[in-house]
Amino acid sequence: MQISIFQAILIGLVYYLGNATWLIGIGYYTMYRPLVNGFFVGLILGNPVLGTMIGATINLMYLGFISAGGALPGDPCLAGTLGTAIAIASGIEPEAALALAVPIGLLGTLIWFAKMTVNAFFVHKADQYAEEGNTKGIAFMNIVPPQIFLFIITFFPVFFAALYGPTAIKSAIDFLGTNVLNSLIVIGGMMPALGIAMNLKAIFKGDNRIFYFLGFLLTVYLKLDIIAVGLFGVVLTLIYMKLKKGGSEVVR
Amino acid sequence: MSDNTLNNQDVKRKQLTKKDLRKSWIRWMTFSHSCYNYERMQSLGFAHSMCPIINKLYDKKEDKAAALKRHLAFFNTEPNVGTMVHGITIAMEEERANGVEISDEAINSVKTGLMGPLAGIGDTITQGVITPILLALGIGIAKDGNLMGPILYTVLISAIIIWISYTLWMRGYKLGKSAVEQILGEGIFNNVIEGAGILGCTVIGALTGKYVTLSTSVVMKMGEGQVALQADLFDKIMPGLLPLLLTLGVYKLLEKGKSPIKIMLYIILIGAVGSLIKIF
Repeated sequence: MQISIFQAILIGLVYYLGNATWLIGIGYYTMYRPLVNGFFVGLILGNPVLGTMIGATINLMYLGFISAGGALPGDPCLAGTLGTAIAIASGIEPEAALALAVPIGLLGTLIWFAKMTVNAFFVHKADQYAEEGNTKGIAFMNIVPPQIFLFIITFFPVFFAALYGPTAIKSAIDFLGTNVLNSLIVIGGMMPALGIAMNLKAIFKGDNRIFYFLGFLLTVYLKLDIIAVGLFGVVLTLIYMKLKKGGSEVVR
Repeated sequence: MSDNTLNNQDVKRKQLTKKDLRKSWIRWMTFSHSCYNYERMQSLGFAHSMCPIINKLYDKKEDKAAALKRHLAFFNTEPNVGTMVHGITIAMEEERANGVEISDEAINSVKTGLMGPLAGIGDTITQGVITPILLALGIGIAKDGNLMGPILYTVLISAIIIWISYTLWMRGYKLGKSAVEQILGEGIFNNVIEGAGILGCTVIGALTGKYVTLSTSVVMKMGEGQVALQADLFDKIMPGLLPLLLTLGVYKLLEKGKSPIKIMLYIILIGAVGSLIKIF
């Protein structure tokens, strides 16, 4: 399918919103994530179900995404919005979309870098308002210039990429043949291992490790879905914490 | 004469209301990262959030200017758990506006002293465990096209984040600095992190089993018969063996300090070559 100009505008807005400040602080937890922006891009392109599936798949890669101290390992918002748009428009599998989305996500770090660098300039302007004791000026400097700049560097790249990207990707895949598509699907299947491992780095410690294998075994042998494992997990966690506390009391 | 005016000021104690605190919180919540930058990080977001407080507490222009400059200093923390810093800062500003000797350095050192530990705890709790667990649940529902996945995820994560941020903001104001340090020492946060870590590991394990896919198409000839490695061996013993080994292997590389981008390139290379020579 062909993405229309109007649809490309809306997709550009989704990416801006995911990075912008307007969603009362929860934008970073919601619209920024492929699971959510994939759904919205799907909605814009008339197929929210497919968008959700693709977004969910891409999000596997960014499960362990942590931005700390202003460092950004890839851009899940760009990977989610553009990845989903390109996948729907060129009709490729979610796994192949994931393999395409991850390099796109790396490009997003450039946008982040530009924002983090240019914004410092606005803070110096705010210093002048502070000298005057002007609280309105402080509010203005925190909102208007950085958000206008952010809009420029987020909206336009995504608008153009959504408009012209799918055709380019589709002709590249047509040219390279089905072997490439198969490779993309294999890579897309392997890629979540990295997203998961990055999250493991934060929590795979001490006794926690046993529970990782438990969760794994529950799905491969008992075929439980994630919600079921999650609920078992809550119960087991409560029991474990209780036993551990009780144990230390006995020792005392 | 001068004694009289002093007394007058003492009588009119400046008291912040819950509404003032809320005004300040909603500004932080919305605009904390609006002007995030490498030089002073969340400094402007912090100063902006203090504007309603400063307007209420200080009448003179010089006092407002001094307060704004104070809060334009470098600041960076996890924006939701870190709100305890704001609560404490507001309490200190209120004292100061009522004549208690609190120096700029005192306020600044409380901010810088707490923002680091709270950033560490906060990043682990919100980004390290709560978000991945809820994302995993959402992805689990959404993967086959159920729209409740993103919707449920959005509702749950929003409610939890807003609750954490608001509660700790108000707590910080009420308890003050020493009490917060006590809480940090008691390890309540540690219990939360530990419990959430266990739940997180369980769910992440399930994700590995469900959504990392890798299978081999290698067929080994053994005399007369044939053994398809995947169907006859792995699927019989442990269906998700290859994905599990892959995930743990990537984890080991990360532990050794290999950069995620490098590992990503390895995966692309192995996947491409492996599928072309028909191993996968």
